[in-house]
Amino acid sequence: MQRRLRLSFVLGLLILIYMVSVILVNFQTFSSLAQVPAGLIWLFKNFIPNEHTASYLGPILYQLWRTLIISISSTICAALLSLIFAVLGAKTTSPNRGFQLTVRFGASLLRNIPVVAWAMILLFSFKQSDFTGFLALFFMTLGYLTRAFTETIEDLDGEKLQALQAVGANYFQCVFCGVLPEVASSLTSWVLYMIENNLRDATLVGILTGTGIGFLFNHYFKGFRYDAAGLIVLLIAVLVILLELTSTQIRRAIA
Amino acid sequence: MLKVNQLDKTYGKDKHSLKAVSFTAQPGEVTAIIGPSGAGKTTILRSVNQLIRDDGGQILLDDQDIRQANKAELRKIRHHIGMIFQNYNLISPLTALENVLHGRLGGKSTLAGMFGLYSNAEKTEALALLDEVGLKDYAYQRCDQLSGGQQQRVGIARALMQHPKMILCDEPIASLDPKSTQIVMDILRKLAQEKQLIILINLHQIDVAMTYADHIIGINSGAIVFEGPTTEVDDQVLQRIYRQDTEIKTMVTADEN
Repeated sequence: MQRRLRLSFVLGLLILIYMVSVILVNFQTFSSLAQVPAGLIWLFKNFIPNEHTASYLGPILYQLWRTLIISISSTICAALLSLIFAVLGAKTTSPNRGFQLTVRFGASLLRNIPVVAWAMILLFSFKQSDFTGFLALFFMTLGYLTRAFTETIEDLDGEKLQALQAVGANYFQCVFCGVLPEVASSLTSWVLYMIENNLRDATLVGILTGTGIGFLFNHYFKGFRYDAAGLIVLLIAVLVILLELTSTQIRRAIA
Repeated sequence: MLKVNQLDKTYGKDKHSLKAVSFTAQPGEVTAIIGPSGAGKTTILRSVNQLIRDDGGQILLDDQDIRQANKAELRKIRHHIGMIFQNYNLISPLTALENVLHGRLGGKSTLAGMFGLYSNAEKTEALALLDEVGLKDYAYQRCDQLSGGQQQRVGIARALMQHPKMILCDEPIASLDPKSTQIVMDILRKLAQEKQLIILINLHQIDVAMTYADHIIGINSGAIVFEGPTTEVDDQVLQRIYRQDTEIKTMVTADEN
C-alpha cells in the first residue's frame, strides 16, 4: 500500500516537472507531435537511396573499407600496448605501487578525453589525414582497454599465481604461463567489442579529420545528395551488424 | 628431513600468529597438522616454502635453511617442493597435461618457461604421471572441465613433476566428497611410502588425519600443543588441541539460552 502511494507520488511529481518546463520554454506539445509524421516522410523521401544512388557505391565501399581497416588496426595496436600496461598496473601482477598509480592515472586521462576532442587536438599536429583518425582512436582505445584489462587481471584469483610461484616459476613465467592463459578469452572479447565501437566512432572522427566514410557522408550531406548519405548510413549499420555477428561467433568459439 | 625451529610470525601489532613453532617431519611419513580454524595451520605450511615471510626462526630441509636463501636459491628450493591446495589452483583454460608440465618451470630458463618449450622426455614423463594418478584419458581436457577430485589429482601430478623431496598440502580435501577424499589421500600415503617423500598436510577432518597420518602435530592459537605418532593421540590430546573451539561452543550455547 505504502509502495503504491510512493509510486503515484513520484509519477505526479514527474508530470508536474514536465508541465512547469513546458510552460517555461513555451513548448507546444500537440503541434510538435503533429509535425512528427511529416518530418518522417521528408526523411524517408530524401534519404532512401534511389535509382541514381548506385553510381556512388564504388567510392562509398572504398572509404568504408578504409574506415574498417583503420578501426581494426588502431584497436589491435592499442590492445598490444594496453596488455603490457595492464600487467604492469594490475594489483596482482604489478612490480611496484609506482607503476600501479601511473598506469591508473594515465589510462583514466586518455579515456576521459572524448574521441572528438582527441581528433580536434591531433588535427593541429597531424593535419587532415587517415593517420590523425588512427591516432585519435588509438589513444582513446588505449585508455579504455588498459582499464578493462587491468580489471580483468585483478579479478584473477591470486592463489593461482601463488601456486606457480610455489613451483619455482619466476615473474615472467607466472605472467606468461598463468595470467595470460587465464585472461585470454575475456581480453579477446574486449578487443572485439572495441573494434565494433571504434567503427562507429570512426565515422564521427572522419567528419572532423576529413577522411574515411565520415568525410564522404559529410561531403554528400552538404552537397544535398541525401540519397547517397542515406546509403552510407545504411551500409555502416549493415557493417556494424555483420561485425557484431562475427564477434559473437568468435566469442562463442573461444569461451 | 624437514626440521622447523622456533618459527615466529606476527600479523600487525602484537597479534601473534605463530609462537616459537618447532617440529620435524620425516621422509616416508605423512605428517598432519591439525587444529581449530585460525590456529595458524596455513601460516606454518606457507612459511615452509616462503610464500608467507615469517619473522624469525629456522626452516631446515635436509640441513639447508630455506629462510637464508636468496631469490635464485629460493627458486631452486621451491622447484623441489610440491604444493597442492584446497582450490586446486590449476590454470583452468589449459589442459591437464599443460598444467602438469608447469611443474618443470622452476628448473627452466625464463624464456623456455615463458613460451612453454618442453622436451619430449618431459612430455612423456608428464603423461606417465597423469597415468599414475589415474587420469591418462584426461590429459588433453581443459582443467575447468574436470571434477574437483580429478583437478586435485592433476595438482598432485604437477607436484610430482617437480621431482619433489616434499609435498605441502594445504587443506587438500576440504572441497572434496568422501570418495575423492579417499582416492587423494590414498595417493598421498602411497607417495610417502614408495618415493620416500615428506608429506606435510593441513587437515580439518580429525578422522582423516587419524586414518592416514603417521605423525600428528596439534596446534592451538599459534603454538604447538602436541607432537607425536598418531597412535599416541587420544581424546585428552584432542581436547587440548581443540580447546578454544569447545570454549567458544559453550559460550554460544550459553548465549542462545
